[in-house]
Amino acid sequence: MTDQPDLLAQFSSALAARAEAAKNAIVAIRLAHGRHITGMVWRSGLVVTSEQSLPRSDEFELVAAGGSVVTARITGRDPSTNIAILRPAEQLASPSIAAGEAHTGAMALAIGADGTGGVSARLGLVNLAGAEWHSSRGGLIDRRIVLDISLAQREEGGPILDAAGACLGMSTFGPRGRVIAIPTTTVERIVPLLLKDGRIARGWLGVALQAVAVPDALRESADQSGGLMVMSVVEDGPAARAGIVAGDIILSVDGVSAHRFRRIAGYFGSDSIGRKADLRLIRSGKVITVQTTIAERPAHE
Amino acid sequence: MSEAASKPAPVGRLRVAIHAVDLTRRSALSRVVAEAGHVVVGAQDAADVVLADRDCPPGETRPVVVLGGIGHDLPGVLSRDADASQIDAAIRAVAAGLVVRLPEAMDTGFGAMREADSQALLTPRELEVLAALAEGMTNKAIARRLNISLHTVKFHVESLFRKLGARTRTEAVAKASERRRYETITL
Repeated sequence: MTDQPDLLAQFSSALAARAEAAKNAIVAIRLAHGRHITGMVWRSGLVVTSEQSLPRSDEFELVAAGGSVVTARITGRDPSTNIAILRPAEQLASPSIAAGEAHTGAMALAIGADGTGGVSARLGLVNLAGAEWHSSRGGLIDRRIVLDISLAQREEGGPILDAAGACLGMSTFGPRGRVIAIPTTTVERIVPLLLKDGRIARGWLGVALQAVAVPDALRESADQSGGLMVMSVVEDGPAARAGIVAGDIILSVDGVSAHRFRRIAGYFGSDSIGRKADLRLIRSGKVITVQTTIAERPAHE
Repeated sequence: MSEAASKPAPVGRLRVAIHAVDLTRRSALSRVVAEAGHVVVGAQDAADVVLADRDCPPGETRPVVVLGGIGHDLPGVLSRDADASQIDAAIRAVAAGLVVRLPEAMDTGFGAMREADSQALLTPRELEVLAALAEGMTNKAIARRLNISLHTVKFHVESLFRKLGARTRTEAVAKASERRRYETITL
């Protein structure tokens, strides 16, 4: 009689082996109160993690595979794509990372750090693999990857692996605690930029804007039905220097309509810094044009 | 050890240790806590709750409410401009072992940019009326403030209700503040 392979047992052992192998691919990043989050060991020994959950500090302690503790400095952070990178004081062995392609319905294995040098694992499916999207902070994420995996806060920032062991992305929390992945492609795109400058530069006017309807009486002269009303102006910012005041309704910037957030936010990429911009706006019932120079968004804004 | 801390506080009355670097802030918070009927104790005294400004004191193991705090694991988080009733409610809740969060904190997470619904955008005038509603002003008072007729105020209020899908003034104010979080961008 031939040995009947027990498929379920094989499947289970394969998963356990994957999780065990992934322990060199992650670190725990220690936070206050005995908490931690997870970081992915990236190429050239860097550590990539979830920006939104990393406190504003320059230095962190990492717990690497096997439990050794290494200090690491923040090398760059980008809230717009939720990516932060740290450089450990001692070089960590960097695993080989293959970028995987997410497919709806495919299996996904989420790896987290247990805080003592080991791993924790979660299994689920890619709930949805969709098109590129823009974050509320204005960053471009190459694909929408939603997972049907529940994650503990300490596991955020770890890799999501597919059945072949390729990395689909970094796990993080979306709105309402939903678990999503920042695609490997996005990490690959952002890390070199962060290594160079420590941040992703963005253009800045120094205003908070709320979408409003253009009053009926002004629709015709404004030639659009919506705009962005200035709610507050940052002191000494580009908008303040151009005389922009709260209550002004911005209709367009250099002819780019301020009607859609995405379009207008897209106009303020790093290439916009230093550019002179014509702002078409409604002030005291009249449509006027004001010129200002787009500055670079300060780190704290 | 102060006298207040040596004996347990009467029921409903909590011993509260206050942690604030800024002295003016410290005394303001002490006053709020005392006026709510609690006992302010020293930082090292036995306390039921710790009320901290901005940061949770390192190594703090007692229930803590942090004003302007960030961190998933803090028992209580309020904004820095929380009012007296919120502070009182939060320290009582945290002392009873509950978790306190602001509504905004329930919707954190890395999310997509949402476009405002162009059909339901509020006009600048409606925003002014809304601000007055948030202050609890009557239609008559709003008419006076904005120098428009009572009839026009009613018209704006109805339009606000329709655009926000609200039935009451309170609901309109709440829904508008919810929407403002998505419909505001910084450039």
